[in-house]
Amino acid sequence: MINDKNSQKIVDFISNWARKHSIWVLGYGTGCGAIEIPPTMTSRYDAERLGIRGAATPRQADVLLITGYLTTKTLKRVIRVYEQMQDPKYVVGFGSCTINGGMYYDSYNTINVLDKYLPVDVYINGCMPRPEAVLSGFGKLQQLIGEGKANGATKYKENLEWYRANQKKVIPNWVMPEYNW
Amino acid sequence: MQEKKIKNKIIKRVKTNFKDARDRNDFKYNRLDFSVKKEIIPSVLFYLKDEMGFIHLSHISCVDWLEEGELEVVFILWSPEEKIKVFVRTRLDRDNPVMDNLDMIWRQANTYERELREMYGIQFTGLEAPDEFILEDWQGPPPMRRDFDTEAYSNETYFHRPGREDAEDVRETITKRSGEDIPDFAKKYSR
Ligand code: SF4
Repeated sequence: MINDKNSQKIVDFISNWARKHSIWVLGYGTGCGAIEIPPTMTSRYDAERLGIRGAATPRQADVLLITGYLTTKTLKRVIRVYEQMQDPKYVVGFGSCTINGGMYYDSYNTINVLDKYLPVDVYINGCMPRPEAVLSGFGKLQQLIGEGKANGATKYKENLEWYRANQKKVIPNWVMPEYNW
Repeated sequence: MQEKKIKNKIIKRVKTNFKDARDRNDFKYNRLDFSVKKEIIPSVLFYLKDEMGFIHLSHISCVDWLEEGELEVVFILWSPEEKIKVFVRTRLDRDNPVMDNLDMIWRQANTYERELREMYGIQFTGLEAPDEFILEDWQGPPPMRRDFDTEAYSNETYFHRPGREDAEDVRETITKRSGEDIPDFAKKYSR
């Protein structure tokens, strides 16, 4: 029934609408910016009124929120977490460290540009971003999801070799399960 | 006054027991400082711990004297009774930094020694611990040494996003984009 184009459109519209109002966030809070997540989630800014709330495990989460710098050691874990997540999944890069290295641009152990390793849908800049900025970033993500443009996961699957090559460049000892989604 | 007396007593006793201990003890506050040869480090530490009451190992730190070709290992001990801390320093050859393992005196020394081994390349003979400590799959030189150029390493290992070079003032850029003026109270923070 949903094979013809128009009904697919309607189904997409409805599922996107549902997805954008129920965002379960897995916070990967190893960077210092993670300290802005509690105020965002609790009563002052109350992200839950927008449908944004925390998830317990990768398999239950929609959004992987990466708050700040990633060392090569944590990048390995993040990749593993990301690959465990179920579709639909999105990545939000949080803070300057994920964008261009921030103040750790010359560190010997932190990666600088996150979107070379994982498909980032939305970046939130700032060091660290205030809860307002976080909410506006999530607003942007909701808008992209609603328009069906937040397709980082598809990009990742299509360009897996390119991402893998980049990842293996900084993680020489690659002992990870291979998933076939 | 009381403290000074105790400090002088400690200095005297250490210097009588260890002839070649050099001290630099002109500190106004509760701190003592000795430099000794690396061979007698275990006996100095044992002496301070068992005889003088410095039972707490606060930290083992390292200083890289690049110009002199030496690494200086600093043991920081604390006496909870006298409320005095003592620094025991020793110098190692920078090209071949080897010293004795000391984790039988304080067990927590094990952790610090692993850190120094990874960050400065100091080998502790007899240290039983896995090779890796904090860094994973590290293949470069010990990163905390001063001749390790971390920016060059980062440049060749990781991707860089262009646009950092001009170091633009974010506030000005944003006001230009949105057509607003910088408010007076914020002007003093602009470059
Ligand atoms: S962007 Fe700033 S606040 Fe965020 S992790 Fe980096 S240094 Fe910390």
